[in-house]
Amino acid sequence: MKKENHTDKITRKEAIQKMGKYAAMTAVGTFVILNPLKAQTSSPPSPGGDPFS
Amino acid sequence: MYNNLAPTYKHRIGDYWALWYAVSNSYSIIDHEFNLLLEAYLHSATKSDFLNTISDTFTVSECNGIIDSLFNYLSDCNKPYNPTEFPSTALDTSFRHITKTYSFGGKTIEINYDSELVLKTIHPALAHFCINTHSNTTLATFDVYLNNDDLFLFKDQKLISQVSKYNYHHIQGKFIMHLLCTIHGKEEHDWIGTLHGSTITDGNTSLIFVGESGRGKSTLSALLTTNTFHLLADDVSPLLAEDQHIYYNPSAISIKAGAFNLLQPLVSNFDKLPIVEFNKSKGKLKYIPSLKPKEDHYPCKAIILVDYQPNAATQLEHLSVKTILETIIPDSWLSPDPEHAQQFLDWLSALQFHKLTYSDTESVTDEISELFQQLK
Repeated sequence: MKKENHTDKITRKEAIQKMGKYAAMTAVGTFVILNPLKAQTSSPPSPGGDPFS
Repeated sequence: MYNNLAPTYKHRIGDYWALWYAVSNSYSIIDHEFNLLLEAYLHSATKSDFLNTISDTFTVSECNGIIDSLFNYLSDCNKPYNPTEFPSTALDTSFRHITKTYSFGGKTIEINYDSELVLKTIHPALAHFCINTHSNTTLATFDVYLNNDDLFLFKDQKLISQVSKYNYHHIQGKFIMHLLCTIHGKEEHDWIGTLHGSTITDGNTSLIFVGESGRGKSTLSALLTTNTFHLLADDVSPLLAEDQHIYYNPSAISIKAGAFNLLQPLVSNFDKLPIVEFNKSKGKLKYIPSLKPKEDHYPCKAIILVDYQPNAATQLEHLSVKTILETIIPDSWLSPDPEHAQQFLDWLSALQFHKLTYSDTESVTDEISELFQQLK
């Protein structure tokens, strides 16, 4: 586990206090995780019937 | 705390941080506030240590909510990446009913199709490279056929993709990847990714147009190719690791029926281009061939989110990396190789991001010309 010095902790604590409650609560509620496609594709077709009929 | 769940790479891009997690090959774009909390969480030795850092600002219940959110976020970012696998199948040459030969500046490939319908998945975009003579020096032979509702794609008798017929766009994507490898002399592992967007060049640099289907990426690219610009890639823009340039994709620009009226007066011989009707969901399409740019590859300087709005004034405005990546990443293939992910983040850091709203063909061409001038 990475060791941290006392100053880093104080600075982070102060930064979080400064950021304020509203900004922090908004930030943790709005993250997005982006997953790329697992394989190469062209533009996907619109959903529909059998494309080869 | 939970240092094993920490992101593998972290890049500052504009006002945001772009994080990449190797185990899941996932990206997340977080703001300054989220970054501070995540840093504090990951650097705290224990849960009570983290609580001590945030308890002056939040109530106990809020603290617990933050801890849950951060833990859930990290758990989701660390879901293992499982590459798609398919069973090995031997090539059945009895499906070889139609054979076409294509020449890309003297580099020749051959494709065997089992039917006219299967041919329509690949051939129309490359029809302008089709030659009538058989070549004895083909660089690669592809086979595409439909068997028991699955589409199979072989390269030099080796199966490279097998998907349900409803996912034929995967066969198209895999084929394009291997076509690019063949004509550019590369291997699949040489690419950082294939970005879902159309790229144009002014002969010095290039711009990628991205956006949801139907927003006018391809139409805009076609329009610009009638005005001194060259198409580098339509729909699939390949990014090479070695030089982080976008490479030439020879596929013609695919245009949906909704854009026919706009392009008809601008594209020469538009009426003579055949209408391709592959299936009802795609509707009528025309494929516009365009002249190859002078070079095979160009550096990219900007990604532009395109939004065609009837009667809207042309407007180019700055956009955040967050919006651009939320658009581009879920629709692009990006290599899970850590070196490639690092290169992708480095590449992004040097780009400009814009949103382009347009309807008028003249003013949008002027706007793009100006942008190219600025990027010089």
